[in-house]
Amino acid sequence: MTHLTEEDQILVYYNEPGTNNAKKHLAECAECKAAADSLARALSVCNEWTVPERPPEFGHDVWIRLAPQLDVPARKAPGWHGFRLWAAAAGFAVLLLAVFLAGRYSRPTPVMDAPVMAALSDQARERILAIAVADHLDRVQILLTEISNTSETSPEVLAADRDRAEDLVQEGRLMRQSLEAQGESATTSFLDEVERFLVEAAHAPDSAPTQAVADLRDRIEAGSLLFKVQIVESNLRSNLSNGEHKL
Amino acid sequence: MSYGEDAALEQARSGDSDAFRVLVERHSTAVFRLAYRMTGNETDAEDMVQETFLRAWKEIRRFDGRASFGTWLHRICANRTVDFLRSRNRWQPALTSGGDNPDAEHDPFRSLASDEPSPERAAQSAEAGAMLEPAIAALSEIERTAFVLRHYEGLPIDEIASALGVQAGAARHSIFRAVRKLRRALEPIGSAQ
Repeated sequence: MTHLTEEDQILVYYNEPGTNNAKKHLAECAECKAAADSLARALSVCNEWTVPERPPEFGHDVWIRLAPQLDVPARKAPGWHGFRLWAAAAGFAVLLLAVFLAGRYSRPTPVMDAPVMAALSDQARERILAIAVADHLDRVQILLTEISNTSETSPEVLAADRDRAEDLVQEGRLMRQSLEAQGESATTSFLDEVERFLVEAAHAPDSAPTQAVADLRDRIEAGSLLFKVQIVESNLRSNLSNGEHKL
Repeated sequence: MSYGEDAALEQARSGDSDAFRVLVERHSTAVFRLAYRMTGNETDAEDMVQETFLRAWKEIRRFDGRASFGTWLHRICANRTVDFLRSRNRWQPALTSGGDNPDAEHDPFRSLASDEPSPERAAQSAEAGAMLEPAIAALSEIERTAFVLRHYEGLPIDEIASALGVQAGAARHSIFRAVRKLRRALEPIGSAQ
């Protein structure tokens, strides 16, 4: 007789689908039943972990803090306002990169007549590049999250996503080139992987928008792309907050 | 104006902040519970509640109704909190020895001994708290999140995978690892019960 593994027992404990055979075995096998009971006892300790009660007005308090931040009305479909915000964010990233590149490549004859930029140390410019890459990944993450959470879409929404992907491709290429100039490889390779996806998203076909989004979603899931973007961005920001700026 | 959940959702999706307010007030406590279990302290958990609803407002037109609104919020909360924990690179349990701790009255393990416990029960609960806190703190962010979503929130594995941005197999194995670690740490108590 093949006994249940611990993993089988965990799936049974949580009543996961596809565990009927394991449940039958448990009903017949004293050894596995004893092991399952032991697992249940250990996990029952976790059930005693209660959360501090919130007062009845908690939801109201949350709203009071939240309301001032909701100054931008939610939109039914992407519009000019959203595009401007997105473009402004992307533009800022490119400006940051320009600062980095101006300092790095234009000495001793700076292309940009900006004493402030010239005065920046290599360290400051590297920090700026790290911030720009983290912000870029944040925008990538927003796009990936939206695609991952969309089941049906319209040609208009898909077109807006395509535009954003195209912007991100351009932005990412600039960053990748800057990193390559520094000789950095791990983040460069990752940006390359992200770019391949973005290029695909930027060329998603109009003819069947829902299928196009489903295909993109499969790509994201197959490569755990969203997860990787979250980790790389999080590590970058963690390093920045610790005063480290090496990519 | 009073709204039912569906009507509030429909109005909120069209940009009606009054309708969104209804959803915030209705779901705040549940989102707090999840955030608290993931962060281990009230202040961070309340910040995560704010972050969750802010993101939800920005993304609400994307809500497609495949899952319930509450589940969708939990996904957002789990994502934001995982990011937060990674950026902080730590878990901040509220459990301390009490005394000077201003949060001591909300100590998650103090409530283990509620309802006029017997001395034996109180001692057992204190022991559980002492073992549960480091055991949970020792889990990785992904393991803790997967475990909290499965054990406390009852989310199916595919929903957990979606919240974490990983495939179902990876979410399942995160739960296995979390349970294995917790079991090792808690078995002495479990076997005493």
